[in-house]
Amino acid sequence: MSTPALELQGLTKRYGDFTALHSLDLTIRPGEIFALLGPNGAGKTTMIGSVCGLVKKTAGTIRVFGQDLDKDPVSPRYEIGLVPQEINFDPFFSVAESLRIQLGFYGRRRDDARIDEVLTALNLQAKKDAMTRALSGGMKRRLLIAKALVHKPRLVFLDEPTAGVDVELRRDLWTYVRKLAAEGTTIVLTTHYLEEAEELADRVGIINEGRLLMVEDKATLLRRFGERRVVVTFEHPQAAMPEAGRRFSARLSEDGRTLTYVEREGCAPSGELLRALYAEGQPIADVETRHSRLEDVLIEILRGRPQAA
Amino acid sequence: MNILGMQTLFAKEVRRFMRVPGQTVLSPLISTTLYFIVFGYSLSSRVQTVEGTPYLHFIVPGLVFLGIANNAFLNSSSSLFITKIQGTVVDLLVSPLGPGELMAGFIGGAMVRGLIVGGLTWAVAGMFTGFSLEHAWVAAWFLLLSSYVFSVLGMLAAIWAEKFEQINFFPTFVMLPLTFLGGVFYSVRELPSPWNAISLFNPMVYMVEGLRYGMLGRSSFPPLTGAAILAGVAVVATALTYGVLRSGYKMKA
Ligand SMILES: Nc1ncnc2c1ncn2[C@@H]1O[C@H](COP(=O)(O)OP(=O)(O)OP(=O)(O)O)[C@@H](O)[C@H]1O
Ligand SMILES: [Mg+2]
Repeated sequence: MSTPALELQGLTKRYGDFTALHSLDLTIRPGEIFALLGPNGAGKTTMIGSVCGLVKKTAGTIRVFGQDLDKDPVSPRYEIGLVPQEINFDPFFSVAESLRIQLGFYGRRRDDARIDEVLTALNLQAKKDAMTRALSGGMKRRLLIAKALVHKPRLVFLDEPTAGVDVELRRDLWTYVRKLAAEGTTIVLTTHYLEEAEELADRVGIINEGRLLMVEDKATLLRRFGERRVVVTFEHPQAAMPEAGRRFSARLSEDGRTLTYVEREGCAPSGELLRALYAEGQPIADVETRHSRLEDVLIEILRGRPQAA
Repeated sequence: MNILGMQTLFAKEVRRFMRVPGQTVLSPLISTTLYFIVFGYSLSSRVQTVEGTPYLHFIVPGLVFLGIANNAFLNSSSSLFITKIQGTVVDLLVSPLGPGELMAGFIGGAMVRGLIVGGLTWAVAGMFTGFSLEHAWVAAWFLLLSSYVFSVLGMLAAIWAEKFEQINFFPTFVMLPLTFLGGVFYSVRELPSPWNAISLFNPMVYMVEGLRYGMLGRSSFPPLTGAAILAGVAVVATALTYGVLRSGYKMKA
């Protein structure tokens, strides 16, 4: 396997008596989109900050593309881009100037073509010469994203990049993130919009109270923890539970009109239930199925559903 | 070494104070001119000469020094402190700028501002007294080194401060008394005992006297003592700031 983009071993952060990160172990593969999910205060920003030089870790090792940050804290940063959770801006400078300064900090010569490219991707071109203080909240976040990407980092941290941005930018950003990943950029993303993680992530890490509860391929996670709900609506209300429904432990609504079956991994497929219902000759008006979303899975895991499932 | 990063930070610092010339250059210039008029004219009617130098001439090096010290300190301290308040310090901490690059950028910018104000002060004062530069190299050494020292101290103050009032702690409680008691407006030699002896422990005395020697060709102390003291302070302050930045003290969570 190629060198991991990021490798954490026993990463621990304590603030006085409070432990924000409990010995985290995590490997991020190059080119993947990794979503770090967890409730407020779980430790997501602290983890990202430890890698990006904003937080002094208490213990553990951090390697960025194989380079140990304890040995050389500065040069791995050429490869890193960070969109911080908190919006910041320097009111003395325009959008284009801010990006030029950012390029300079990363040891790159002035490159207006690159700046235009990033501004266009983030739909900020029209505000190129505006002073940063004159931007709307969402535009400031776009600028923050532009600043994190302008030097073409190979490892990008997006800490809630779409908080407070409009639907259009969210879609634009998703497209852009996928394009970056396709070009080989590694992306670590935190978000409270689980739709976003579901849409983008290759793998998902779930963190709570400073502990990584689980790291899993998104698809596997959805399959393993996910469920399919099948709701059958009958043409006529049923007086009693049909025999097929009883066999499959489905649930009949009080008015007798609908039957709900929850299909989990290891259960009989819902198709069999439907076949049995047809065989019984029950006239069916409608069948609706709903896959559980990452949101449902996350809630279950955070509630501590046994992981042996 | 991230040379380009360092240059970018330096240029950004210079542009920052140039954006508000009224506040950063003009207002200190007015205050120094006021010192000159108020202290110079009111006192010079009673104090004719100090150790043989006409009083108005005597205070010029001290005023230049004040302009440099105050502005160098103010620039690096406020600039770095504002990045902490505004959150843009994140950009600095995340980017590949090590402690050396950060220091070069902030100190360089602050020195430029200090030297601009010092130069303008000298120009204004020169219109009252004429210009005198007896030992140009000595003057240059003291100008550069005092602007450097106060820029470094400004950085230290900004790193340490968590609130706006704390950033004023050093200028108000340390710099102001030490400079006013540091022989800008009088010769410490002529103070009554024990104040003349006590003044010898004030490092500002040597800086002012060193510059006075460079500009007027005369001073109460050999300029070498002042030069050595200033160099010593510079080395200690530099090492301290470098170490503090490297450790992340008060800059990182
Ligand atoms: N500077 C600090 N001093 C003390 N405690 C801190 C500090 N920074 C963070 N913490 C604590 O560490 C824990 C993790 O915070 P962190 O910001 O990493 O959470 P998060 O997962 O990013 O949450 P959110 O989703 O709200 O952004 C929280 O309990 C927080 O209060
Ligand atoms: Mg956070």
